[in-house]
Amino acid sequence: MGKGDEERKRRLLRIRVDEAGLEEELDDELRFHLERTTEDLVARGWEREAAQAEAVRRFGDVGRAKSEMRRHQGRTTRRKTMGGWKDTLTHDLRYALRQLRRNPVFSGVAVLTLALGIGFNTAIFSVVDGILFRPLPFPESHELVNVWTDVTRRGGPADEWLSYANFASLRDEAATLEAAAAWGGWSPTWTDPDQPQQLLGAQVTEGMFSRVLQVEPQLGAGLQPEDDRPGAAPRVVLSDGFWHRAFGADPSIVGRTLTLSGQSVEVAGVMPSGLRPPFLPNADLWTHPGIDEQAVAGGRGGYSWRMVARVTQGTDPGTTQAEMAELGRRLEARYPESNTDMSFRAVPLREDLTADTRTGLLVLLAAVGLVLLVACVNVANLLLARATSRASELAVRFAMGAGRRRIVAQLLTESLVLAVVGGVAAVGVAFLATDLLVSLAPAGTPRLEEVAVDGRILAFTALVTLLSGLVFGLIPALRAGGADLRESLREGGRGAMGGSGARVRNLLVSGQVALALVLLVGAGLLTRSFQNLRSVDLGFEPAGVTSMQVILGGGYETPDRVSFVQEFEERVAAVPGVEAVAVTSTVPLTGFDGDVSFYIEGTPLPRMGESRAAWVRQITPNYLSTMGMELAQGRAFLDSDVEGDREVVLINETLAARWFPDDDPVGRRITFSDPTGEDPFWREIVGVVRDIRNFGIREESRMAVYLPWAQAPSVAAWPVVRSDLEPDRIVPAVREIVAEMDGSLAVARVRPMGEIVDGALASERFVTLLLSLFAGVGLTLAVVGLYGVVSYAVNTRVREMGVRMALGAEGARISGMVVRWSLGLVAVGVAVGAAAAFLLTGLLEGLLFGVQPGDPVTLVGVTLVLALAAVLAALVPALRASRVDPARALRGE
Amino acid sequence: MTERNLNLIRGTVDLLILTALSDGEQHGYAVSEWIQGATEGTLLVEEGTLYPALHRLEAKGWIEAEWGLSENNRKAKYYALTPSGRARLRHEEEAWDRYSAAVAKALARGPAT
Repeated sequence: MGKGDEERKRRLLRIRVDEAGLEEELDDELRFHLERTTEDLVARGWEREAAQAEAVRRFGDVGRAKSEMRRHQGRTTRRKTMGGWKDTLTHDLRYALRQLRRNPVFSGVAVLTLALGIGFNTAIFSVVDGILFRPLPFPESHELVNVWTDVTRRGGPADEWLSYANFASLRDEAATLEAAAAWGGWSPTWTDPDQPQQLLGAQVTEGMFSRVLQVEPQLGAGLQPEDDRPGAAPRVVLSDGFWHRAFGADPSIVGRTLTLSGQSVEVAGVMPSGLRPPFLPNADLWTHPGIDEQAVAGGRGGYSWRMVARVTQGTDPGTTQAEMAELGRRLEARYPESNTDMSFRAVPLREDLTADTRTGLLVLLAAVGLVLLVACVNVANLLLARATSRASELAVRFAMGAGRRRIVAQLLTESLVLAVVGGVAAVGVAFLATDLLVSLAPAGTPRLEEVAVDGRILAFTALVTLLSGLVFGLIPALRAGGADLRESLREGGRGAMGGSGARVRNLLVSGQVALALVLLVGAGLLTRSFQNLRSVDLGFEPAGVTSMQVILGGGYETPDRVSFVQEFEERVAAVPGVEAVAVTSTVPLTGFDGDVSFYIEGTPLPRMGESRAAWVRQITPNYLSTMGMELAQGRAFLDSDVEGDREVVLINETLAARWFPDDDPVGRRITFSDPTGEDPFWREIVGVVRDIRNFGIREESRMAVYLPWAQAPSVAAWPVVRSDLEPDRIVPAVREIVAEMDGSLAVARVRPMGEIVDGALASERFVTLLLSLFAGVGLTLAVVGLYGVVSYAVNTRVREMGVRMALGAEGARISGMVVRWSLGLVAVGVAVGAAAAFLLTGLLEGLLFGVQPGDPVTLVGVTLVLALAAVLAALVPALRASRVDPARALRGE
Repeated sequence: MTERNLNLIRGTVDLLILTALSDGEQHGYAVSEWIQGATEGTLLVEEGTLYPALHRLEAKGWIEAEWGLSENNRKAKYYALTPSGRARLRHEEEAWDRYSAAVAKALARGPAT
């Protein structure tokens, strides 16, 4: 028998089955109608027998109606058969939409869950991918490394900058580096425009762009190797942003000259747009420093350059690292005076750039993964609960001859429709959330500009959520065709309270609670940690203080810097609203600090290579009072502490505690030059200043010294102004004073001190805010899930509650029972969640400040919040349960 | 009854059924109740006419049927509008408006003198 015969036979068989089924369907439909009419009449007082007769009478000619219906049904069947799968599909789609519209709460919650879960997940993944995982925008960017001086053996950091001489040695001697270059900060004042502008730039040594980063200028030939020779006329290349902003993208810019800090500088080219060098990504211009390498070869002690290199193709990072350590040993042997206990480290550039952000982002990634899980569980649970409550409906349709494949196809269509609607909403959420994340991210976050919503990630997340929905949506459909079909019908459509189905749902809800708890504990810990950071005693009072920077370069010699600052302070102090003004070499928390080595008279001389370093700050006498800093001992600087007078110095408490644990430091002498030299330049300690947070809010205080401005003025002058008025009302007056005093000076970096302090906490704020946001979403989803399961359980147990109430149970007891039952689910989740939180929050350790990962206060607090939310979620259905009308419940309505 | 009148009545039943379903799916009993209630009992559409009409509309593809559960958990056949049914409803409404407006106009003018 051929295949065609088989097919024909099967089709014939199906038609016969269909015909029998059709007749039964007609009977069923009419019987339903007649029964309803009868019941209606009975309810209005008719005798049942009479009502039945009346119903048939009202209907009219049943036989004629049936024959007409049979005729139409034949046409319907033919039309459907001819329409094929396309008609079936559109039919299923319409059916699915009707079903979803009929249950707006279910559909709304499911769509919202999908949108939030997929949307947030995509946004966070996109941000993390852009910052951490995507390659840097340079050819073969994995070959790029940063090279650091490692002075951990001296008790210093592992990522100190380099001296030019050490850089030159590494560059010339390393075999595994294809090219290497160094860069240093450079902020020239541009005096061509009416308002002098302070520019942000970098000095880069020869080959930085052409051989290390391998980017070509978009305009002009760019910097040439001969520009980096000592004495060469200085030339610059501009960034695309500066070229657009300052010159309107004028293509004739190449060859023109700019006046930078009093020097004429030729423009050698414009770098391409989108160039984000791994250093100072917002730089306006770059130049070659033209260092005389012979002349600086002896000075290996400083740390003012940073090194970027490209390893030779195919070199393992480990090999380069080993070579750097080896070169470190070689230089140590060759230059013991400067290089003792000094080594070098090569760190892949991408890793290095994102080292600070990494932990926070990975925590967020984990958190959003948990949110996604909660969302998946929620969708699964919703579909499961719904499909179970439709078990009887499905059973009826099985009984009416609908094939299992048809029903499965319809349930699949429903899940798909839900997923598509949710997915579309999720795309919107993803874009909004990505923008939100980028706008919330701290200003200094590296590579933020490369972040964009990633279609692949969106698709992946949608797929995960969809699959979980499908799987859980299908289970009941597949089961509906099985053994419990008859049972569902017998239960009179109360919905198959299939034991296993309920257990799975309860388990899922407990799981959600556990996940939400982990998120909440994480958010709680970070919030407490952030509060601790906010309440750290800074050692100064930022409120009301505005800081700014004026570079006294070019023509300013030492005496000019003193007299300029003196006159400046006098004039600013006279501005109405100004309470106090002072000038310093830099303000706290900005990272522009220099170290000095010191020696205290009467202490043992440092052994070779031992570093006694303190950070140093030059200040005018008013500085301490303007900043709200306190003296622990002695006196502040006076107007009489001037050049030529007794040289004085202030030290901080940390230095005092380390070097004068038992003595009074006031009156002792300290030097910053060679104590064994001819005439060590001694300074007398006149006071001890309380410690401040200078490098970061978390950082322990380090040793520090303060010098009087009048005896040691710096090139960078940072005025600080205290006033009750808004900065905008003070700053213009200050600018005017500076312009009047010297038209070639620029006032830059104007920022309220409070903003600088906030900026120092920006990344903590970001991570805390986001984790709290995710915890909130997770909690909401879990509460919604709990609510769904509890109200579903109440619905299915209406009859049981009716019996209890009929037997005299009070409403309050019934509600109590429901709430207790839901708290049981929550308790399981909390137990599991607490254990998981205990294990997982260890990952947060690096981010926490003043609070331990297993902090009991947080755990208890969070559990209470969760329990409260759970009670609220259970209360609504519980109250409904207490209002069950026993009579109606028992009738099964 | 002329052929024309019969068409009119049949059209009216179609229009009423389509309107009854325009708010969402219903079973036949609910459709008949709606028609009685909405016309305040003026138009009595006999069920013997209603059910064949439902099946006829289904055969034309204007409505589609699906078995489901009634409010008190009995199996019942539910009918819902298809997109072409919705289009048909709009078309029939316009036709009805034109028709009734024309009749009203004619009646208002009175007999030809």
